[in-house]
Amino acid sequence: MDMFAKIAWVIPLLPLASFLILTALGRSYRTAGVWIGSIGSLGAFVMSLLVLLERLKPNPVDYSNGFDWITIGDYTLTIGYEVTNLTSLMLVIVTLVGFLVNVYSAGYMKEDERITVFYGYVSLFTFSMLGLVLSDNLLSFYLFWELVGVCSFLLIGFWYARPAAKAAAKKAFIVTRIGDAGLFLAILLLFWYMPEHALGFTMIESVFDNQGGTITEGITTLIALLIFLGAVGKSGQFPLHVWLPDAMEGPTPISALIHAATMVAAGVFLVARTFDIFEASEAAMQTVAYVGAFTAIFAATIALAQNDLKRVLAYSTVSQLGYMMLALGLGSLAGGIFHLFTHAFFKALLFLAAGSVIHAAHTQDVREMGGLGSRMKTTAWTFAIGALALSGIPPLSGFWSKDLILAVALEENLLLFAVALAAAFCTALYMTRLFVLVFLGKPKQAEERTAGAKESPAVMTIPLIVLAALAVAAGFVETPWNGWFGHWLTDGAGEAHGSAIAIVCSVAVGVLGVLAGWAIWGRERGAGEAAATLAGRAPGLVRLAERKYYIDEAYEAVFVRGLRGIGAVLEAFDRYVVGGAVKLAGLAANAAGRLALRLQNGQVQTYSLAAVLGIIVIVLAVIGRRMLS
Amino acid sequence: MSFLQDIPILTFILLSPLLGLAVILLLPGQRAAWIKRTAILATLIPLALSFWLYADYDRAKGGEGYDEAAEWLTIPINNDTNDTVEMLFSFQYALGVDGLSLPLLLLTSIVTAMAAWAAWHVKKRWKAFFGWFMLLELGMLGVFLARDLFLFFIFFEITLVATYFLIGVWGYYNRERAANRFLIYNGIGSAIMLVAFVLLVNTAGFRIEEAAGGHQYIYSGSYADIGANMANPQAFVHLPPEATGGVNPFQMSEGMHWTLFILLLVAFGIKLPVFPFHTWMLKVHQEAPPSVVMIHSGILLKMGAYGLIRFGLFLFPEQAREGATMLAVLGVVNLLYGAILAFRQTEFKLVLAYSSISHMGIVLIGLASFNEIGLQGAVFQLVSHGLISALLFLIVGSLYERTGTTELPRLGGLARSMPFMSGVLLVAGMASLGLPGLSGFVGEFLSLLGLFETKRWLTAAAALGIVLTAVYVLRSVLGITFGPQREEHTALRDARFVEALPMIVLLAFILLLGCFPSALTDTVQMSVGGWMEQLLSSRSGG
Amino acid sequence: MLPSYLTLAAILFCIGLYGALAKRNAIIVLLSLELMLNAVNLNLVAFSKYGVVPALTGQIFSIFTITVAAAEAAVGVAILIALFRARGTVDVHAFDRMRR
Repeated sequence: MDMFAKIAWVIPLLPLASFLILTALGRSYRTAGVWIGSIGSLGAFVMSLLVLLERLKPNPVDYSNGFDWITIGDYTLTIGYEVTNLTSLMLVIVTLVGFLVNVYSAGYMKEDERITVFYGYVSLFTFSMLGLVLSDNLLSFYLFWELVGVCSFLLIGFWYARPAAKAAAKKAFIVTRIGDAGLFLAILLLFWYMPEHALGFTMIESVFDNQGGTITEGITTLIALLIFLGAVGKSGQFPLHVWLPDAMEGPTPISALIHAATMVAAGVFLVARTFDIFEASEAAMQTVAYVGAFTAIFAATIALAQNDLKRVLAYSTVSQLGYMMLALGLGSLAGGIFHLFTHAFFKALLFLAAGSVIHAAHTQDVREMGGLGSRMKTTAWTFAIGALALSGIPPLSGFWSKDLILAVALEENLLLFAVALAAAFCTALYMTRLFVLVFLGKPKQAEERTAGAKESPAVMTIPLIVLAALAVAAGFVETPWNGWFGHWLTDGAGEAHGSAIAIVCSVAVGVLGVLAGWAIWGRERGAGEAAATLAGRAPGLVRLAERKYYIDEAYEAVFVRGLRGIGAVLEAFDRYVVGGAVKLAGLAANAAGRLALRLQNGQVQTYSLAAVLGIIVIVLAVIGRRMLS
Repeated sequence: MSFLQDIPILTFILLSPLLGLAVILLLPGQRAAWIKRTAILATLIPLALSFWLYADYDRAKGGEGYDEAAEWLTIPINNDTNDTVEMLFSFQYALGVDGLSLPLLLLTSIVTAMAAWAAWHVKKRWKAFFGWFMLLELGMLGVFLARDLFLFFIFFEITLVATYFLIGVWGYYNRERAANRFLIYNGIGSAIMLVAFVLLVNTAGFRIEEAAGGHQYIYSGSYADIGANMANPQAFVHLPPEATGGVNPFQMSEGMHWTLFILLLVAFGIKLPVFPFHTWMLKVHQEAPPSVVMIHSGILLKMGAYGLIRFGLFLFPEQAREGATMLAVLGVVNLLYGAILAFRQTEFKLVLAYSSISHMGIVLIGLASFNEIGLQGAVFQLVSHGLISALLFLIVGSLYERTGTTELPRLGGLARSMPFMSGVLLVAGMASLGLPGLSGFVGEFLSLLGLFETKRWLTAAAALGIVLTAVYVLRSVLGITFGPQREEHTALRDARFVEALPMIVLLAFILLLGCFPSALTDTVQMSVGGWMEQLLSSRSGG
Repeated sequence: MLPSYLTLAAILFCIGLYGALAKRNAIIVLLSLELMLNAVNLNLVAFSKYGVVPALTGQIFSIFTITVAAAEAAVGVAILIALFRARGTVDVHAFDRMRR
């Protein structure tokens, strides 16, 4: 019955096999990389699809299995996999986007001499991500969590010779590592507080669901917040969002796969997977909701003022992840995961389309683009679909998922609803700006560079078309009048939210945003002028958004300099105090030696005197002992 | 009874380097290649034997059955009390393995074999180098095998002398100063250790045996005797009064317990090294030849931790438990202090030296946690760090040979000309910062998990170390491999196969332990569990 | 009788010790050494006559000592003469070259 669920452990092993083969082959076999990587991910996709289809049958039973990783006395740490509705959905998202990116990269990375290495890294990433998705307990989740982090790091720094890529890779790793430390501590806490030291998600669910008072409110909140810290790091939520925009230094297919569709969503997935802990703590839920909402609006405003095509999309990703967190924080598991699901497709689509543009135009600066629409029809159309989906224009997928979140927010918290609406408006605005600047109008500066731009090869456009189709259609699994998706995901605890107000508001801000964007940047105006109009009205604000609210600078000043400062102090301490003490001890020994040297004056008579004195001391000691006893 | 228990396998392992030494001494000094080949072959013998032993070792039974003991040295003491009692100092040639020493034994033979293989850098006096090298291996194996305090001390000193010459003659520019500093610090440590051992022999080493015409009062250095006496100080009370003269001859006051514990802590703490006794190690890391640093950082530092566990924790569990907070604080200080200072260094070897300090902090944390998990973590970290630091210094040696520098500002972009070595360096760095799937993570995780049971805030502080470790590792490793290629490095060639082989072997072990940690933890469990039981029983009994 | 002999010997020994340690003239140092040896001789003879177990051994020993002392004096004076030829002085403070 559960045939495919039982062999679900094979799914991650396929990309792992690709990785191992590619590593063993070395970089000489260029086309082999493409084929082996793609076949591995295709196999994983087919199997994931089978698992998902199996789950769609009525009343599927969760299946889990594993083995003991470490046994110490009475404590056992296990590694295992578990197939639930949520994991099977994530499996399909990861493998589908992974497979499409594999295909796309065959065109995008064709000229790169390290294409085999690239495919190896991508396969390793796919393996880790699938392992993360399938994990049945927090420890094995953490193992893969770190592994995806390292793959992300490797791929951001893929073009290692660029100083910017090096810095971005380092930053990504360290910033997410801060979140990881939080997750690490959460695991330690759970291990010692959970009954029988269990870390399995099923156990977590049953323990926190019942709230038998085994774990106190304060500890629950602490655990939840520490887990959330991990999610904040991985999913680029404020204040640890700084690494994600910089991560755009990596190849664009990677931005689509890792930094839009899958890995950054792992934070959301983590919160969803441990949702019962959060539900047990009101404070933690509030934190998640507010951090998510703030991130959504915060990143959206930054995206308005960025001029790098990929950075705009990156901030948009941060903003949308904020949306998902907001949904989770408001208690809507289905809302968060639904948005994750649709977002994975349209954001991957946008990144891949952007990659297609960059591939053709050889620049990432939107001010240097323009008029590409006529030359790259497929790219322009698919990008437009993605942009509309992201902006929340019905009936595209983004609309339905965003609408669900807004409906929940309307019910729960009006302030957050307003913030979410504002963020939705900004989203429509910056996407329109992006589309107009890139595809419409006349080619701008650097005529000779953009002149050669032409449509990308089919190997790159076909994934775009597939993703565009999904971006259109994926939303229909959950509509205000059809709560099938939420019902399926949360196993019966269905939460079909339909709210006319939410729909009206949502459509209104989406359309308004697009129109406003059109009004500001459209109509054949030059980008320079357009920027000038906006900047002219509120120069301070624009500059603030352009410089990303000076967060990077603040971190640089506080943490980097702070660490350097502490380092300098400690180094001085090490050199002068510890080293000084050692030197002092050495000097003392030397001084004692010099003092003793005085006795060594070459006079035999002095030596004899010393000997005589010694004899006298011995004699006195012997006599003294006799007399005492 | 397995086959290995019928033969004196431990003696074979211990003395196999002597075979190599003998052959090397017979070879003419100019035949560098032959000497080197002999040395590698000679290191392979203990490697193979200890692998066999590791496989043969029965995890349920522990190390029993392999023990070897022979009377070695008995010194009669003049006695003026009566004629029926004879007093003796007795030192045995006693060898044994348990779950604690076996992994370290295996680590020693692996790292030594790889270091012998990697000794390309030796450009002069091959015969002497490999002679000392073999002697060093003998000493290290002996330290982990010895079950007699006197024997342990002798092997400990052999490693000291051998390392002194290896650093002082074949090191880099400031080698003599480094060697002297090494000798002074470790000499002081050894002196303190000797004092502690003498006290131990004279108090806990006491035992009474029936002999012809009366009794023998024996002061022995046997670890088994001392351990038994320390664990059960009342045992003598049950002896017949005519044997003990009516008094309990085993009297160790509370103060003496503490004195001994602190002496041992300082003695082995210098070796480990514990802040603030770490400065000697920096120079050694910087000046010693690569293969010697591999051994030094990979194994010699572990001898400090081994001694701390074997003599400090196992013999003085009560004192150690009361001092656990101090140990934990020292561990966290080591961890953070080392990490922050590693971040400041501009010389890659110094980064690694401070990194070693930081990682030894994790060992201390594991020890301080005082439960099975933490102790397992500490032992795991010992083995893991031994492999990782050996690998890192192996790469450093190859790097230095090509670029002539290990200054970070003068390196960069090496991934272009040396993709293989850069990749290995990156993986080693990742292992060092505790990436799951590689061995560093397991030790770190178990140690912190153990400490968390009792000391939450210290663990939280230690978790900061996770971030800081990432910062300094990435800074240095990326500084070397990433970035634009430098002109002077364009012509560098990647690792030859013979160079790559030890790297691959070490990497394989790091991966193996990272993915299947139970290969190690199950072996250690018997000893750790036994110690816990003893601790619990003494806690409930006393 | 024994104590008076021993006292005399002790006094002689102390005078000799003082001379050997404090005098600057090497000749006097040598003579002081002789004095100490003779103090020892006196003890030996006294013990052989008045000791707990009187025996001739002590007296024979003293003859040995006198012989050795004579030989020692001969060697000592010879060294002194050589030193005087080399350095032009017999002041013991001048002879500290072994220090370096």
